[in-house]
Amino acid sequence: MDVVDLEGLEVRLSNRIVLKGITGALRGHAIGLLGPNGAGKSTLIHTLLGFHQASKGTARVFGFDARRDRSQIRQQIGYMPENDSFIGNMSGVRFVCYMAELAGLPREEALERSHEALFYVGLGEVRYREIRTYSLGMKQLIKLAQALAHGPRLLILDEPTNGLDPMARQRMIQVIKEIRKEGSIRLLISSHLLRDIDETCDEVLILKDGRIAALRNIEEERNSHRNFIEIETIGATEHFSARVRELGCDCAAFSGGRIKLVMPDNIETTDLYAIASDQGVQIRRMSRRRDSLEDIFLRAMGSEVERMENVGL
Amino acid sequence: MSVYKHTYRAYGGRITPLWTRVLVLARYAFAEAWSSKITVALFTLSLLPTVVFIVIIYVANNPIARALIMRGSSREFAIDAHYFFLILQTQSWIALAITAWVAPRLISYDLSDNALPILLSRPISRFGYILGKLIALLASLSAVTWIPCLLLFAYQAYSSPGPWISDNLRIAAGLLVGAVIWIAFLSILGLALSSWVRWRIVATGIIFAAIFVPAGVGGVMSAILRTRWGFLLNIPYMMSVLWRRLLGAPDFMRFGGSLPTTAIAAMLVIICMASVAMLNARIRAREVVRG
Amino acid sequence: MSDRIIFDNVSKFYGEILGVNRISLNIPPGITTLVGPNGSGKTTLMNLMTGLVQPSSGSITVLGISPGNATEFFRNVGYCTQFDSFPRGLLGWQFVLDSLLLHGMPKSEAYKLTMEALERAQLGDAAGRKIAGYSKGMRQKIRLAQAIAHHPKVLVLDEPLNGLDPVARAESLALFQELGRQGMHVIISSHILDEVDRISDRVVLITGGYLIAEGNIHEVRQEVRDKPMQVLIRCDRPEVLASKMFAVNHCVEARLHEDGKGVFLRTGDIDQFYFMLNGIAAEGLVKIDAVTPADDDANAIYQYLIGTDGGAS
Repeated sequence: MDVVDLEGLEVRLSNRIVLKGITGALRGHAIGLLGPNGAGKSTLIHTLLGFHQASKGTARVFGFDARRDRSQIRQQIGYMPENDSFIGNMSGVRFVCYMAELAGLPREEALERSHEALFYVGLGEVRYREIRTYSLGMKQLIKLAQALAHGPRLLILDEPTNGLDPMARQRMIQVIKEIRKEGSIRLLISSHLLRDIDETCDEVLILKDGRIAALRNIEEERNSHRNFIEIETIGATEHFSARVRELGCDCAAFSGGRIKLVMPDNIETTDLYAIASDQGVQIRRMSRRRDSLEDIFLRAMGSEVERMENVGL
Repeated sequence: MSVYKHTYRAYGGRITPLWTRVLVLARYAFAEAWSSKITVALFTLSLLPTVVFIVIIYVANNPIARALIMRGSSREFAIDAHYFFLILQTQSWIALAITAWVAPRLISYDLSDNALPILLSRPISRFGYILGKLIALLASLSAVTWIPCLLLFAYQAYSSPGPWISDNLRIAAGLLVGAVIWIAFLSILGLALSSWVRWRIVATGIIFAAIFVPAGVGGVMSAILRTRWGFLLNIPYMMSVLWRRLLGAPDFMRFGGSLPTTAIAAMLVIICMASVAMLNARIRAREVVRG
Repeated sequence: MSDRIIFDNVSKFYGEILGVNRISLNIPPGITTLVGPNGSGKTTLMNLMTGLVQPSSGSITVLGISPGNATEFFRNVGYCTQFDSFPRGLLGWQFVLDSLLLHGMPKSEAYKLTMEALERAQLGDAAGRKIAGYSKGMRQKIRLAQAIAHHPKVLVLDEPLNGLDPVARAESLALFQELGRQGMHVIISSHILDEVDRISDRVVLITGGYLIAEGNIHEVRQEVRDKPMQVLIRCDRPEVLASKMFAVNHCVEARLHEDGKGVFLRTGDIDQFYFMLNGIAAEGLVKIDAVTPADDDANAIYQYLIGTDGGAS
């Protein structure tokens, strides 16, 4: 069954058309939502949650219509908003329990699952403290805990790693991956960090100017045939690139010793290493560049790849 | 195997019916309101006049006590509609104080840290949200208005000689209806004003101001323009008139004619609708910034 | 005149609360990244560097100018904070113009610089609207515009990519790179370490108010001696590769990747390691698929030096 089904969805906000008739079906286990600011990502999420009404067309979540069956949809969704969102003078446990009860759990179960959820996201030690005393990372995590506690079918995360320091960010990505692995929850993650999406999602929806710019399954892309290689070298000169081209590869060199090349089928990496060994060049990094998320995104935005070497993963 | 791994587990249990969610909200709101010491203090304060009233009823019905206390005084003293009007009025002022303190507590904690997107992403509509808060507030206010009033009525009925109750049943009905109108009005207004302002203390002040300031303005208007319509801004005055009519007590007469009941009712309804409009604008999952 | 930013044993206390303790820095031109958990003193450090707070002890000179000489100091320093508040009711360009006028320049010049800054920050016609209606990304851009408008020699940026979509991130990073090339001091604090890695020359690590490391990323990494460098090599016969590496005595630890198609190798001498790898690969016994330094980046340095105990969250 489709997670989200959109048909000609048009949404207006204060007389401006934000979503201009989008049609598509999202089926992935973890769906990434990308796009520039103002493209309509938040509006789409808010429409699925029933905060906005569609002016034309329909949106369905798990088969339920977003306008008519709002309660059923909200029953099955856990939402983690982008901005800080909590009730300051409640303790962590009480807040999560309150939210879980509002989502339909009976009191005892709600309390039980609240404790579980808080431990699971890593807030076990501070769950009795008032939320207004929490640090930024903890405030992010409490949003995740309240979204999980009632056992939703779809988890919507809006910029989950916002403001987190590197360790906390890693932990959040780890938790997201675990949730995905557990299998009973689908994920819809909206983020500006391509790397986060790439690590966690198997399908991406890219919005631009209120329309769908791309809807791709990146899991399939990853497994496809790849002869695009990117290497990082120390000590490589134009001589190195020249030798590589002699082999028959297309080759382009960038700053910092980075070289991107396309190998024809008959050439192996062994040949590259032969040249490197010969010239005393260190190949510090080698990766197969599949049609990565970076490329998909840039193509969707309509920019050239060469200019944007700083984007992405 | 005795190594237990704690990971996420899905929920497969019972889901409570939709209508109970409003009660969940009411329950938490009620707990929030009464967790404050000041709420408890105000409630305790409200019991003091009640004690005085009980004593007065006792004295009125007990000839010996009356003789003792009012020796020599020939003042007639009866427990009638006017007396219950005084009781209702006193308790209603206390209700105002409690609303001014409690209503901001119910709303501003949710607004100040932007909890609404998370709250409203639950299967509860904005209407249900407000309804839950209203129920909590109404319950709290009932404890200081019609409940003590009706208890006093019952006490009077019990302690008075003769068939007092059958003649005065109208008073009981009047107490109930009058109190309910007042607390419903206060609750909606209080919640609306609390949602409009960011800080709790300011909200408390504004709720008081909303009752007193227009009253002053209305009084000035009436004096200058020599009309009685200025009193339509005076909520305590309007309520007093309404209560007296409900209870069957004689009206005051001021400035040549009192306000018609329809005008009072219309005014109350208009204010309620304005409150609902305020709530509709402020209780949103998403703030729309124009510009 | 000096071209360095110099901190000489600087400490800053806010009453009992420690901001930074005994920090000594000597920062050359170019891009330097400031890295540390939330609450580690980064913002204090940046406030000290831009003259917004005075140190409790120690001295600071920026390009030879001390913060006591306020006019010249602020003329040469631009600060783009992470905090998101603006004066009420202002339009975008008014905000930039006002900050420029504060420097005492004539209005005509200020207008010119404002337009220039708005274009550099890629704001377009959003600059004519009220800031209150801006999205997060636009606010970031207007702050950036304000920081670069007066052509400072030192640019301090606190989380400048927060809220920007991938294309805007790439553009901002390109802008910073350009500024660094022109000889400016660009100090960037960021949690997204892999982006930072791509453009910055130097890194400053701070945690709990203490300076942990400073210098070029690769040099810092090599100095962390108790953790030899680790490289992940994906190939078809990892065990053969591992044994060959052990045979030439350049490997202290080898660990097979869990999917069996790669091996993590730790080595005490990374340069020799790569040359050895060239030789082994050129022989053709193993077909190298990918080479990834598992820890020669800011992320790894962060983990080793700061790890989970440095975090406030």
